[in-house]
Amino acid sequence: MGSEISVEFWVATIPFVPLLTFPIILFLGQYFNGKDWWKNILKEGGSISLMSMGIVLILTSMVVAQFIGEMHNGQGLDIIDWITFDVLRSDGMTNGVNLGFGIYIDHISLMLLFVASFLCFLINWFSIGYMNTDKINDNRNHRFYAEFLIFCSGMLGMVLADNFLWLFIFWEIMGLCSYLLIGFYYEKPSAAAAAKKAFLTTRVGDVFLMIGLIIMWNIYGSLEFDIIFGWDYFTNPVDMTLLKTSLILMFIGAVGKSAQFPLHVWLPDAMEGPTPVSALIHAATMVNAGLYLVARMFPIFIGTAGDGLVGELADVAIIIAIIGGITAFMAAGIAFVQNDIKKVLAYSTMSQLAYIFTGLGAALWFASKGKPELALFALGASLFHLFNHAMAKGMLFMASGSVIHEMHHAHHHISHGEHEGFDAQDMTNMGGLASKLPITSTAMAAGSMSIIGIPLIGGFWSKEGIIAKIWKAAIYDGGYLLFIPAILLLISAGMTGFYMSRMWFMTFAGKPKTKVAEHVHEETPWIKFPLVILTFMTLGGIVFASLHFVSWVSEGHAFHYDLIHEMKHAFLAMDKEGVIDSTFLILTWATIGLSSIIGPIIAMSLYGGNLKDGENAIPTVSWLVKLSGMVKNRWEFDNSTLANSGLAEALRRRLYFDDFYDWICIKLIVPIGIGAALFDKKGVDGVIKGIESGSQSASTWIRKLTTGSARDYIMMVALGSLIFVGLIWGMV
Amino acid sequence: MAENKTKLNDGMYVIGGLFIAISVLMFASPNMPSMENDWVTLPLIGLPILGSLLLMGFASAVPAWRKESISETIKYASLGIALIVLIITTLMMTDILMNVHWANITFNQYMYEVEYNWINSIGAEWHVGIDGLSMPMVWLTALLVPITIITTWNEKKPWYYHPLLILMGGCLIGVFVSLDFFMFYVFWELTLVPMFFLILNWGGKERKYAAQKFFIYTFTASILMLLGIITLYLLQDPSTANASITGRTFDMHDMIQNAQEQVILGNIWLGPGVQKLLFVLFMAGFLVKLPVVPFHTWLPDAHVQAPTGGSMLLAGVMLKMGAYGMFRIPISMFPYALVEFQMPLMIIGMISLFYGAWVCLGQTNLKRMVAYSSVSHMGIILLGIASLQPLGFAGAIFMMFAHGLISPMLFGVAGAFKHHYHTLEIGSMRGMAKHSPWLAGNMMFSWMGSLGLPLLAGFVAEVAVLIALWFEFGWWVIIPGITLAITAAYYLWSMQRTIFEGGENTELPKSLGDEKPRDIALSENIGLISLAILIVIFGIFPFIFFEMMSGYSSELIKQMLMDDIMRRW
Repeated sequence: MGSEISVEFWVATIPFVPLLTFPIILFLGQYFNGKDWWKNILKEGGSISLMSMGIVLILTSMVVAQFIGEMHNGQGLDIIDWITFDVLRSDGMTNGVNLGFGIYIDHISLMLLFVASFLCFLINWFSIGYMNTDKINDNRNHRFYAEFLIFCSGMLGMVLADNFLWLFIFWEIMGLCSYLLIGFYYEKPSAAAAAKKAFLTTRVGDVFLMIGLIIMWNIYGSLEFDIIFGWDYFTNPVDMTLLKTSLILMFIGAVGKSAQFPLHVWLPDAMEGPTPVSALIHAATMVNAGLYLVARMFPIFIGTAGDGLVGELADVAIIIAIIGGITAFMAAGIAFVQNDIKKVLAYSTMSQLAYIFTGLGAALWFASKGKPELALFALGASLFHLFNHAMAKGMLFMASGSVIHEMHHAHHHISHGEHEGFDAQDMTNMGGLASKLPITSTAMAAGSMSIIGIPLIGGFWSKEGIIAKIWKAAIYDGGYLLFIPAILLLISAGMTGFYMSRMWFMTFAGKPKTKVAEHVHEETPWIKFPLVILTFMTLGGIVFASLHFVSWVSEGHAFHYDLIHEMKHAFLAMDKEGVIDSTFLILTWATIGLSSIIGPIIAMSLYGGNLKDGENAIPTVSWLVKLSGMVKNRWEFDNSTLANSGLAEALRRRLYFDDFYDWICIKLIVPIGIGAALFDKKGVDGVIKGIESGSQSASTWIRKLTTGSARDYIMMVALGSLIFVGLIWGMV
Repeated sequence: MAENKTKLNDGMYVIGGLFIAISVLMFASPNMPSMENDWVTLPLIGLPILGSLLLMGFASAVPAWRKESISETIKYASLGIALIVLIITTLMMTDILMNVHWANITFNQYMYEVEYNWINSIGAEWHVGIDGLSMPMVWLTALLVPITIITTWNEKKPWYYHPLLILMGGCLIGVFVSLDFFMFYVFWELTLVPMFFLILNWGGKERKYAAQKFFIYTFTASILMLLGIITLYLLQDPSTANASITGRTFDMHDMIQNAQEQVILGNIWLGPGVQKLLFVLFMAGFLVKLPVVPFHTWLPDAHVQAPTGGSMLLAGVMLKMGAYGMFRIPISMFPYALVEFQMPLMIIGMISLFYGAWVCLGQTNLKRMVAYSSVSHMGIILLGIASLQPLGFAGAIFMMFAHGLISPMLFGVAGAFKHHYHTLEIGSMRGMAKHSPWLAGNMMFSWMGSLGLPLLAGFVAEVAVLIALWFEFGWWVIIPGITLAITAAYYLWSMQRTIFEGGENTELPKSLGDEKPRDIALSENIGLISLAILIVIFGIFPFIFFEMMSGYSSELIKQMLMDDIMRRW
């Protein structure tokens, strides 16, 4: 069992703060709905949940501050024995095995703890502006905040749990909240269908995960991180095939949760939920759960390789990396043709998560090949990308929410309350918003740049690290299969440059495409603050990078690398000794060129353009608009053949995955169910009914013998006696 | 109508006569001992049974036109009796009464054990006692009765209905505490009587058919069990019990001890063939009660026709009688046969689990769907038994308990839906969340509980059984895995077509006519929410009961089954 953390017992209280707050909101809301004080002072529960998240944020900051500098290995603390039982093995009874609950803290969980509580707080703040000013949410916002809080406690609990079983438990709790919040507008059939789809798709993954956990429990006799990570494979050899199977099954669970190919279909539909939900659950936190699970496998790979089982688990790493590569490429492709601003972001999320998966695949590859230093670097890069992506994508969703919200209001204003036929999320209705939404446009620009990987901004550092490491694994360490994700990631980098730029320019540059877009104003309170904060977080990527975030998880020298080293490393592709590797130099600049120059330029030439005459954007983005105008004038080309081609159509239909799964459900699963029900009714119960009616008719037939006539009875008695006598006679 | 009423009264007199006869038998026994320290006989069994008989007798004496005026009194009196029983069992459970450590008692050792002479001539005794297996069941029964009474507070003809519920509770507790085959069988059959009348008098349109089917199925099954009991009785050495004329005894405790002694000596008790035969006879009785495919068709019919309270007790406790019986008799007494029949048990369990889930997917009736989901979940209990692991046993027992909390809520919700919307068709309406938010919330909660959401009681049992299953059968665990996904599918699909959707102007079922949809009444809500709270409590803190179940299972396996399991390896 883990070493004791004496003072830090209250770390465990973090998930309980929101857990204890949610019933208050739910019940108060149910009873005081519509009351003035409930609506205006308590913001239909928003203030209460914000307070609760504030406490969580303070606690988390204290925990992070306490641990970050001094801790190198994970620390576990057992809290309760949840289930205690005996095991009967072939060599007799083993006593007192238990599945307990406790907390486990290391750099990975600290980072995710901070990301989760920070974003929960900001998005809660944003929600008060976004949710409470919309008529459609009247009298049901308490439900939103209550479910929001259950989600937060699920996420925080998952990050802190000290074993895989409790990780899974909180994981499912998050799934439930995701279901509830996607279906928040329950009266919309599309929302109801999307909620069901999300739950069922992740459930398929979860079943595999659960089986994986059961196998893992069987291997190690425990699911606790302390025991699994500290396993000695010399003295207690394990069945490596079984371990591999279990890791792959667990990875399938991660695939479902993080919306990777082929279980990715639920994420775009999940955008039916309110925008804060998309920002928090479907971009910044819950979808990271799968990554967290895979990152948690890391010590197993290190441990097996360290105990002489080098390369045994490499297959698992390859599978993870390839799934990541395919998803990154596919999702980026589909994002090309989306016109719904939230759908673009959803596919972008999918694609970026896939980057992280590939990075983790590279990390696990190095780990299993017995190269822990490279592995730690790849792991650090992946987790740093997780951090950058969570911050940037959370902000992008909030900014998109701001755009949608203001579009909605403007439309409301113009059309005097008539709603039909206008889609406030469609980018073809927008355009030229840079002058009307200064803060939103700046935030969105910063976020997009971070996702694209414009040098020096947030995501650049981590994405560069991931691409470099997967190529390194492919080229130098003989992982030829890893060329697939390596090449796909490089291409996807350029594609990211295109679709993110496309989204920004379609929304903010050019002339307004509809009357509504002309009347947009940035006026809703509560919305701006989180955007500003996150803009600074994103732009501050360079600071985090210089803190050597990339090697955060490595031991010892976490904070000793300075900015210059990091820059040199990123732009000159130096290794530890300061030698420049020409292959990687080319690779770095190819990535930068593809993602920051070629992709955005194509997008500008297609979708850019100057604002309407006489309007000016805020200086932070006006240069972007002007640049796009210049590019468009110079290089505009006609893409209609491509846009109307079969490929584009296939991408618009999401490569037919949804159709295929729908077909399976409607043509296969439901008919089997109906057939089984019919069989049960006609077959199983039919046989019973047959016996029933048979015995009934038999008894009716026998009853006929009871004629009531004395003559018949005398006959029968005579006949019976005759037979009886005959029998006796025969026997004698 | 008038005819019905006379019939009902006749029925009541029959029951009354039966119970009075038993009571007389019991109390007029010449060797009536003092009942000091007996916390079971009178408080747990006598009080509800005699109380309900008194209440029903009182009600039948009141002329028909005055019955309405006494209904409140009778309701509160029934609730009071049920709560007294609940308080006593809670004290027992929490170790306060006699300072019992439930997790530590060994196999075939019972707390609160008392023994009175009953029918000396054949060796039948009044022998009661509670151990780690029966304590959760007794508590569950004591708990469900008041909750059922509250949930169905406004049922028609309450002057017979509510006393019948506590009568049912008393009989069920009698089953769970019996340590004598004769007494066990008497109570086992007695439980059928109140349930039969509940279905027959408060049921739906097809109630006669359903009540008969229910009665015939379970009665036939218990005849097989009776055959088993008699065979077991006759197989004894006629000098076993000196007190009885036949020289034989019905005492379960003694017989299990007998079996255990043989096991310790390394013998196969009764010989392999006889053991297998007895195992099959007993199991036949219990499997139909559980029920398993293909003997399950009485269950959906009974549930659909039964009144809400009837289905709550039927699903909550009566199905568990089957599982309880398996643990108490065949598993505890016939270890050789159990190990021999491991594979068939596992296969029956798998079929019930898998097939039940598929049938659920094709159902259009809410109560039928929930009933089939019970069939599916009972398969998990069989799988836990077939795993022959302490964890599997404990998981199966916990499943009995968890399902005993979840399924009453499922049926309570389904009944409330029927009550307020006058239909049970899935998909007959859309957007219930708008009209009946509390009903929708309760429905969603119970559905989630049943599909095995973590931190709710059902999950613990499922995980425990699946881990044990992997130990024993390896990749067979895939089938329960797929079933988990199907379970989620049918529950979510049914929610999509009742709670969700509908647009601004929601669709209402045709059966509602011009009536305005209402939310559930406060009493229903209190009942359902208290179940919900318990489901959460036992989901987060399963060790309250899991410890004693785990202790019981370990002792059972260690002392009774170990040798036979080892022999197979």
